[in-house]
Amino acid sequence: MTLKPSKGISRRKFMLLSACAAVGFGTMSIGKRFQALAASKDIIPLSDLGNRDVFTTCGMCVNKCGVIARVRNGVIEKLDPNPYFLKSRSMLCARGNAGVDSVYSPDRLKYPMIRTGQRGEGKFRRASWDEALDLVVKNLSDLAEKYGRAGTVFVSSEEFQEHFFTTFAECYGSPNTLRHPSLCLSSNIQGFGATFGTNPTPDVLNTDYIIMSGANRSEALITPDSIDMLTGSGGRRKLVYLDPRFTKTAAKADEWFPIRPGTDMAFILAMIHVIVKENLYDRKFVEEQTEGFDKLVPHIEAYSPEWAAAKCEIPAEDIRRIAREFAMAAPKAVYYQGRRSSFFDNDTQMRRAMAILNAIIGNWDKIGGMVPNSQIPLEGHEFVAPFYEDIPERLEANAATYLSEKDGSWKYFRDRVLEQKPYPVKGMMIYKQNPLVSVANREKTLKMMEQMEFICTIDITMNDTACYSDVLLPEATYLEREDPIESLGGIHPVLVWREPCIKPMYESRPNLWIMQELAKRMGDEMSASFNYTMQEYREHQVKNNPEILKALKEKGVYYEKDTPTYGQTIGKKLKTKSGKIEIFSQKYADKGLDPLPVYKHPESGPAGQYRLILGRTAYMTHGTTANNAFLFDIMSENHIWLHTSEAMKKGLKDGQMVKVKSPLTTESLRLLITEKIRPDCVYLSHGFGVLSKGQRLIFGKGGSDAALVEDFVEPISGNMAMHHTFVEVTAA
Amino acid sequence: MKKKRFAMVFDISKCIDCKACTVACKAENNIPLVKDNYRNWITEGPLRGKYPKLGQSYIPGQCMQCANPPCEHVCPTSATYVNVDGIVLVDNKKCIGCKYCMTACPYDARYYNEKTGAVDKCTFCVQRTSVGRIPACVETCPTKVRVFGDLNDPESEVSKLLTKHPYRVEKPEIGTQPFLFYLV
Amino acid sequence: MTTTITNSKNIIGFSVLGLGTLLGLVSVGYVLMIGHSNAYNLTRQIPWGILISTYVFFAVSCSGLCLVSSLGHVFGIKEFEAIGKRAILVAILALLTGFGVIAMELDHPFRMAIWVILSPNPLSAIWWMGTLYGLYLILLCIELYAFIKENHRLASLVGLVGFVVAISACSNLGAVFGLLEARPFWHGPYLPIFFILSALVSGCALLALIVYFNHSLRGIEMPPEYKKFMITLGKLQALLLGILLFFIIWKIIPGLYEKYPGIYEATMAALSGKLSFNFWFFEAFLGLILPFILLLNNSTRTPFGVMLAGLLTTVGVFFMRYDMVIAGQIVPMRISDGGKATGVLHYVPSVAEMGIVIGSICACLFVYVLIEKKFDLSHTGHH
Repeated sequence: MTLKPSKGISRRKFMLLSACAAVGFGTMSIGKRFQALAASKDIIPLSDLGNRDVFTTCGMCVNKCGVIARVRNGVIEKLDPNPYFLKSRSMLCARGNAGVDSVYSPDRLKYPMIRTGQRGEGKFRRASWDEALDLVVKNLSDLAEKYGRAGTVFVSSEEFQEHFFTTFAECYGSPNTLRHPSLCLSSNIQGFGATFGTNPTPDVLNTDYIIMSGANRSEALITPDSIDMLTGSGGRRKLVYLDPRFTKTAAKADEWFPIRPGTDMAFILAMIHVIVKENLYDRKFVEEQTEGFDKLVPHIEAYSPEWAAAKCEIPAEDIRRIAREFAMAAPKAVYYQGRRSSFFDNDTQMRRAMAILNAIIGNWDKIGGMVPNSQIPLEGHEFVAPFYEDIPERLEANAATYLSEKDGSWKYFRDRVLEQKPYPVKGMMIYKQNPLVSVANREKTLKMMEQMEFICTIDITMNDTACYSDVLLPEATYLEREDPIESLGGIHPVLVWREPCIKPMYESRPNLWIMQELAKRMGDEMSASFNYTMQEYREHQVKNNPEILKALKEKGVYYEKDTPTYGQTIGKKLKTKSGKIEIFSQKYADKGLDPLPVYKHPESGPAGQYRLILGRTAYMTHGTTANNAFLFDIMSENHIWLHTSEAMKKGLKDGQMVKVKSPLTTESLRLLITEKIRPDCVYLSHGFGVLSKGQRLIFGKGGSDAALVEDFVEPISGNMAMHHTFVEVTAA
Repeated sequence: MKKKRFAMVFDISKCIDCKACTVACKAENNIPLVKDNYRNWITEGPLRGKYPKLGQSYIPGQCMQCANPPCEHVCPTSATYVNVDGIVLVDNKKCIGCKYCMTACPYDARYYNEKTGAVDKCTFCVQRTSVGRIPACVETCPTKVRVFGDLNDPESEVSKLLTKHPYRVEKPEIGTQPFLFYLV
Repeated sequence: MTTTITNSKNIIGFSVLGLGTLLGLVSVGYVLMIGHSNAYNLTRQIPWGILISTYVFFAVSCSGLCLVSSLGHVFGIKEFEAIGKRAILVAILALLTGFGVIAMELDHPFRMAIWVILSPNPLSAIWWMGTLYGLYLILLCIELYAFIKENHRLASLVGLVGFVVAISACSNLGAVFGLLEARPFWHGPYLPIFFILSALVSGCALLALIVYFNHSLRGIEMPPEYKKFMITLGKLQALLLGILLFFIIWKIIPGLYEKYPGIYEATMAALSGKLSFNFWFFEAFLGLILPFILLLNNSTRTPFGVMLAGLLTTVGVFFMRYDMVIAGQIVPMRISDGGKATGVLHYVPSVAEMGIVIGSICACLFVYVLIEKKFDLSHTGHH
């Protein structure tokens, strides 16, 4: 440590510094003290093993923001945002900052475990990796023999090492991989895909006019949209927000309308009506780039703002005005499609309407408009899956019109497991998905798991699903893992990766290792598909440009340019059947679906009941982070929101315990009385009311939305439709 | 070296109450995760209007780093002091836990930290700022509500912001002369 | 027969006080074991609770005792000369008890001992509080010594200095609160002045108790000069209570008049909110109005009546300190929860806090009674 006298450190400052050295200034730990005193530069090179700054990627949600992990004396002390990481605009949210606790949480899965008690009882014994892996392989082999290879479902969710899990599923020979999109955005992808051939990204940074329907960007954070939404461009920016709830996005919006849930399509169709009728659409663009506009004109005839106002409860003059403003701002105007679209059973058609509205104002592939995603290509991982005869189709094949082969549909899949038709599924391999918290109608999920003969879960914590499993394999957390390079598409395509900040704690292992060990035990043929190290895998990914590895090491992120390119698809064939933007979808017509979005009014609930709507907070990622000590400190339970007027009628008091009764079950939780919600709705945030006592902080706190919500479905994409449930609220 | 006067400017119109600053602060400064323990906060402002026309602001805050800090005046052992950069600090070993500073602070910016055995508060991340970095809350803030810098440097962003925009401070009538500025 | 009754009375009395003291000790042990934050119901918004108010109660009582007793040996009012020694003794005990209570409130009492000397801050009212009451304790000890040694010159000299220090100390204690601009209910010159007056009230009340019980507990008929003293004391106390009543009225009226933020809410909390029972029943009715009536009325201004009034006032003053300390902090420093929580903050002492308070009172009485039993404190000579 050198204190340069030229810096003129006064007596007081010197006292401060010596206080640091002697007794620990403030709450600084040893590592920080070292940093404060010794570091004259921001970054400590990787060569220093105990103290290093590791460029890696956040794993607390799906945004994958750039992180610098400050490792001091072998401990991850602080996660800081990576200033080079364009996509997240050099930020880290509450969850990103709380990531350290996912490593050091006492509730982590530390060792392989084998169940000893009843399922769900939470009684396990520690096992060696050999014993646990042998047991998994024995069960997988037995299941294959008894029920065929399709008799085991591979449940997983988005993660850098998920690829190895799905590779394993493919090599094992099961067609049944069941991923998260059918709980999230399948219908969104379907609706926009059917129109544009892809699901584009709204250029939020540069647009002048944004309309958001229930996409709560201040709380359901998406980088960079959540940030860019507020950046604006020279004060011309306008944000119109429709949501039954006054969310934190509503607080930032120029206009908020508490729309009747499930009627967004009426609003959109009326906007199209105005824009078409008043000739405000981009005529040239529509003629050159779209298909079927002529059929749209008569189709929207009936959908006047006055008609829509009666449906969605937004005044006709506002709809008309917004439509005009929107068209005037075009092409720097977007109707933001959002991400989660598991709301109603007409969601695909609703997103189609959104896509059509965007299309007719001609914002396609323009600055401030809807921009198709770019991607930096990586060399794919090729492997030869063993060939098995008589592998059937997916269990829920043909259940939805456009079922994703890889993702499946939770709703249909689970129903068929319970029906045991067309064939039984008796084994479950789970990687980083927590269906007991994330899938609507928890009772059904429990039944589905009950009838399984074997369940193995690979995760980092004793969540509900783990608690109901037979074998638990502890994975290393994102901060302990070396992960493959991932290509993040978007307006600004980037490459990211993960570098291990510390060695995996306890006996946790990265998923690749787990898959390799399982494959080894499954036999030589399978093992051959996993015959590489992570380093080799990454080198293969970038074999066309090895410079990428260097950039990733130095900056944690790789991008080819820092400005977006617009108009790459203009004049080129899109990935639709006609090669154009399909306002009228012949594809849908052929399948017997509405080729143009037809409005369907949502049902009303029984008298005295409220529509249960779900949503997110900025401090929680789905069902995975509520037990994080930092985040629990901010939010320790969820409340059921009820409008002041309704609470008054019922004589309920703010903060009191209430019973929320849906057709499925009753949950008890605390009431929050607020003006910020429609009087005919109640709201519940996600991720509480857990079953597992292994999540010691949140066990017994709040209520579970998964338990309350009925499993309706959007039949085109197979997406869950979670806003069709009505509940009673009574004093507990 | 010219004397510094660190300050923070908030553009609360950008604050979405995501609590990134709060968690970043707790992680950076090893604040025990117990109720009441926090150096910075975001409060929900009063709900304006009546349903369905509503408005609300989210107001981040922390120690105002006053130029005339009551906490410093009342501390019987001078444990609270102001360093050369204008940062109000607590010398843990001198703190006797009388909590007089907590009653004296008009901003509720202090709490008693059982782990360190002293009253604790925002230090503008002195461990960072003394080596030229910015405070953790500023660095992490997603929507960049917070700007940190030296008001003695006319070229700093905080100086420029305060020159260009009207601003307010919390409870100016008390005469504490806060160095946290809120743009209006 | 009489002796047996007295003995059994004594045993019961000592057991009650002993048990109370034990309760205090257990509470102290508990606090040391599990830590302040777990044992006390204090928050970052209400950092000062019943321990602070109890400390204030003891410290101001101590000053009051001396101020009133100085009427005798400093200002030469004959009736008051009889009670000098006992008043000083109780003052010392009260101050030591107060120090004990505040030591339990401070997280680092030993650090304090070092740093108030090594790193003093003369701008701090708490620094002055420690210094003045520390100095005062020394003066009281010298004064007691002078009384015991019957060194009247020294006694009245020290008494004079003590008088100045006592007024400084108790008004400075008011300034501990009054200098806080952040707390509008406390802020201003009112509290230092109020503390001087309320010290006198406290002092008179305690003196009445001391003189009365000193005789009744020993089963001695009160000598005429003491009876006369009690009546004079009663008249003086009636005057003081009358003034105090208006002090309180003039604290309330401005608090309501302009609805000044912070003052209004705190005043309302006392009048009709969370502290209203304390205020109306203990502070106003028991502590002020009832004793005032007892003392004004010739038929009740007997030695017993004066004692009773003193007892009631002492209880009232205890609650007055508590209400004052809590009311000043009860208004939150900033709005939260979307302005939904518009109300005042909540504080109720924890079991450990109550235990320490009860223990401290019992311990103080226990030691006093013990000394009374062991040593002859009755006044000799000086007539």
